Amino acid sequence: MDETPGLSDQYRMVSPWPLFVALGLPIAELGLLFGLVPLAVGGLLLFGGSVAGMLRESGYVSTPWRALVAISALTFVVGGALLYADPMTTVSLTLRGYATVAAAVVMLVVGVGGELFAFDTDVAA
Amino acid sequence: MQVTGQLLLTVLMGALLLGVAVFLARVEDWRSYTPLGAGGTAGESGYVSQEKPSGIIRWFTTVDHKDIGLLYGTYALIAFVVGGTMVMLMRAELWTPSNDASLDLLGSATFYNSLLTSHGITMLFLFGTPIIAAFANYLVPLIIDADDMAFPRINAIAFWLLPPGALLIWAGFFPLPDVIPAQTAWTMYTPLSAGVGAGNQSNVGVDLMLLGLHLTGVSATMGAINFIATIFTERSEDVTWANLDIFSWTILTQSGLILFAFPLLGSALVMLLLDRNLGTTFFVVGGGDPILWQHLFWFFGHPEVYILVLPPMGIVSYVLPRFAGRKLFGFKFVVYSTLAIGVLSFGVWAHHMFSTGIDPRLRASFMAVSLAIAIPSAVKTFNWITTMWNGKLRLTTPMLYCIGFVSNFIIGGVTGVFLASVPVDLVLHDTYYVVGHFHYIVMGAITFAGMAGIYYWFPLVTGRWYQRRLAKAHFWLWMVGTNLTFFAMVLLGYGGMPRRYATYLPEFATLHRIATVGAALLFVGGLIFVYNIATSWVEGTRVSSGDPWNLAEKNLNTAEWAWFEQRRETALADGGEEGDAVTDGGKVDADDE
Ligand code: HEM
Ligand SMILES: [Cu+2]
Repeated sequence: MDETPGLSDQYRMVSPWPLFVALGLPIAELGLLFGLVPLAVGGLLLFGGSVAGMLRESGYVSTPWRALVAISALTFVVGGALLYADPMTTVSLTLRGYATVAAAVVMLVVGVGGELFAFDTDVAA
Repeated sequence: MQVTGQLLLTVLMGALLLGVAVFLARVEDWRSYTPLGAGGTAGESGYVSQEKPSGIIRWFTTVDHKDIGLLYGTYALIAFVVGGTMVMLMRAELWTPSNDASLDLLGSATFYNSLLTSHGITMLFLFGTPIIAAFANYLVPLIIDADDMAFPRINAIAFWLLPPGALLIWAGFFPLPDVIPAQTAWTMYTPLSAGVGAGNQSNVGVDLMLLGLHLTGVSATMGAINFIATIFTERSEDVTWANLDIFSWTILTQSGLILFAFPLLGSALVMLLLDRNLGTTFFVVGGGDPILWQHLFWFFGHPEVYILVLPPMGIVSYVLPRFAGRKLFGFKFVVYSTLAIGVLSFGVWAHHMFSTGIDPRLRASFMAVSLAIAIPSAVKTFNWITTMWNGKLRLTTPMLYCIGFVSNFIIGGVTGVFLASVPVDLVLHDTYYVVGHFHYIVMGAITFAGMAGIYYWFPLVTGRWYQRRLAKAHFWLWMVGTNLTFFAMVLLGYGGMPRRYATYLPEFATLHRIATVGAALLFVGGLIFVYNIATSWVEGTRVSSGDPWNLAEKNLNTAEWAWFEQRRETALADGGEEGDAVTDGGKVDADDE
């Protein structure tokens, strides 16, 4: 597996995504732990979106959209697990569960929308 | 109030996402349309500055292992200054015995405990692990002649997880409403850290710290996977297992340890967070039990100390022979010892728990393994000494630091062996003796090796020389300061002074003052170091040859200097200027002894 570094021919040694992957994760963690919906949703979106962008950039997938749908599916599972576990915990997980599901829905919509409508002429293989 | 808060967060979050989107759209403009075909080589990155955008954007988007190494290094040194400032406040407070009601300088024991906790965590997780990652990122690909790390983007993610981690860990010190710093000490023992009881440790400041720590753990794990993949798959063809250098060996072993230790810490932290926030009972009496934390923590914690010490040992094994004028004595045995330490380090954790009332048969077996781990450590020590024996020593600054490492490591190791013995430990546990023991290692050895590395590779990274006199002043201040401070602590421990107290009985005053004086020397040395590095980086004398340490003379050159020479030649051909430089021992001139 050779990960070819580089955003483009000219800038081989840079990528804009890692910073945002690393920013999305803590924001999502904070949101989920303390039940802060905006942080949870926004953090998950930032994280998921950046992962999808990075996968495309490094050539593991050919468009970011399907990757986003796959990530959305994983997020659904996490959200579902939270909702499933909800009745068993002393502290309510409802809000956290729905926040996660909401992020998954947004990613799904963006992914499907992108797949259908985006002109990715400028997206390098 | 509640609603406006949520609204505000939503707006902020939305603005952030929008900003990110706009930024990404702009960055995408860089893309020149030709795709880089699969298997396209990234090429020699070092001297082609056009490969990266200029200015600050470059540093936020780089995936070049050398840039990331520099980011790690800068980050680690900033953390070192923060952690050092915290401990200077503590040592200043300990100048006087004070009494429980009010501290003379810091006001409250609560604040002292906060500093204590943050100092430990900062030094171990925000300075120690990252400074090693700095060396490894910069050097391992150069030494094994790889184009870059196996996963350059993962590498960048691992680094960028650290700044949010630091902010969360220090969050309690920021003026945030209702957030106070954690006072759990770096070991975070339950039940205190579970926030139960009448204390104030159920505060969100502790949660934030645990989250931050979790992030640094994720970062270390990603880095470790990357190093393992790089060393296994990205080596050039003429680097075989038989001639892999000692530094890469230690990084490989360390990465293996990280791979088994850090995910465990991460899980334990999550369990603790769940206990604190969602009412689980992992560490509750009658549930999983508070002592479970100690087992999980030390199963991570003891390997962690070797995670921190193995690569510095690698640096010393790599650098010391260059200035002893000969090859490392018993290279193979140094490698075997590294591997042996790596394996054994998972079998000794309960030596931190001898006084908790665990089964005496368990204690005996953990004592045996703990004594055994001293053997490979001693093998290495003898190898360093024999390398120097009858060698032609050049006492350059990096060499002084290597020798300081060996000397301090011996004291740190020997005090450790005593602690490994159950009856001795029952007397000395939780005294300053333990603090003295591990500081001889973390400060006297690990940090010293880091300094050896920084001075040794300074010309490689910057193309300039540091200021020699300042560097030597730094060394001597630190050598004397370390031994004053931490030997005083060993003696305090013999006298029965318990650790983690903001006050003490008057009879301990003299030794505490000696320790504070030593710390002051360390502080002054640190200032000199920062000044030296900063000024030399911008205006130090330029290195005048591709072999600034004159290693070729004795046939001791290594791959990274060959890379340096090549880069210099390219730069000169491009019309770079050449200034003359004084080497630190490169020319063995009179005033360098
Ligand atoms: C020569 C082998 C070593 C042995 C046999 C040894 C043994 C011990 C023992 C038994 C303790 C527990 C003392 C107590 O709390 O009562 C201890 C504490 C400690 N050791 Fe070592 N040690 C060795 C090397 C090291 C190294 C190489 C490091 C660091 C890289 C290190 C770092 C520490 C730390 C940080 C603690 C204190 C943990 C705390 O905060 O309670 N030790 N050591
Ligand atoms: Cu230990």
